Amino acid sequence: MERRKFIKNIMAVSATVAVPSMVFADLNASKKTVSTIEGNTTRKVSNIPTVKGTNDLPYEEALKAIIGEAELKDAKKVKLTVPEIAENGAVVPVKVSVESPMTQEDYVKSIHILNTKNANSRCVDVMLTVKNAEAKFASRVKLAESQDIVAVVGLSDGTFMKVAKSVKVTIGGCG
Amino acid sequence: MAEKRRAIVKIKPKKYVVGDIVKVSFMVQHPMETGMAKDKETGEVKSAHYIEDITFSFEGEPFTKMKVWESISADPFFSVQYKVEKAGKITVDYTDNLGEKNTKSKKVKPKKAKTENA
Repeated sequence: MERRKFIKNIMAVSATVAVPSMVFADLNASKKTVSTIEGNTTRKVSNIPTVKGTNDLPYEEALKAIIGEAELKDAKKVKLTVPEIAENGAVVPVKVSVESPMTQEDYVKSIHILNTKNANSRCVDVMLTVKNAEAKFASRVKLAESQDIVAVVGLSDGTFMKVAKSVKVTIGGCG
Repeated sequence: MAEKRRAIVKIKPKKYVVGDIVKVSFMVQHPMETGMAKDKETGEVKSAHYIEDITFSFEGEPFTKMKVWESISADPFFSVQYKVEKAGKITVDYTDNLGEKNTKSKKVKPKKAKTENA
């Protein structure tokens, strides 16, 4: 008999413990949804799905905006130096050098550095002149994930050259 | 806004003569916020703050212009080449998206060229 009572008691206790906790859990859940519907936390909620900068531009569009409908060559004259593996995506060194005489007739007009998967795929546009005497540029960029770095070089005759290299990023560097 | 930014303009190599091509590099202390990162303590999204335009000029004549977006690292660094023609001053002007304008300059002092007949 004692054993039966004991089991009964245990059952009762466990029930009383379990039921309220479930009820509270439900209440908590409902509170959360209500608050979001009411809009108390609309600012935070809206921030989560739309993690976007002010001037987002996917890679394809950015490339189109730069070259328009001009020719695009895959050139050997452009040398793009990036690390194969970047441990920290917040600082990825990029070097571009272009073989060019840099005279008034034939010079490198611009160097554009793009990435393929960041929210804003444009990094920097450099407009060079003859006074630079050598078409070389170096900087450091942020990469959110493993992707390609693309250097688009515009020449004075209106043609463009493109070189792409992939970078493996172990820790993303965009927020 | 009134926060003062530390910037450096460097010319390498240190010794050069007229006609040499030197590397002009420009570094500045700037947060370069993308507008996507969250504050770790408050959880609020930090507003975007990045450099937009950079102009390198020699004695008022611009020789390199840059248009910059958020994807450049914090405390950015840029370098270009320049052919020294005479003594003067290289000035770098930079503007960020909040309208903060600053300049930094560096004197160009070419050494006297060695006479070849000596």
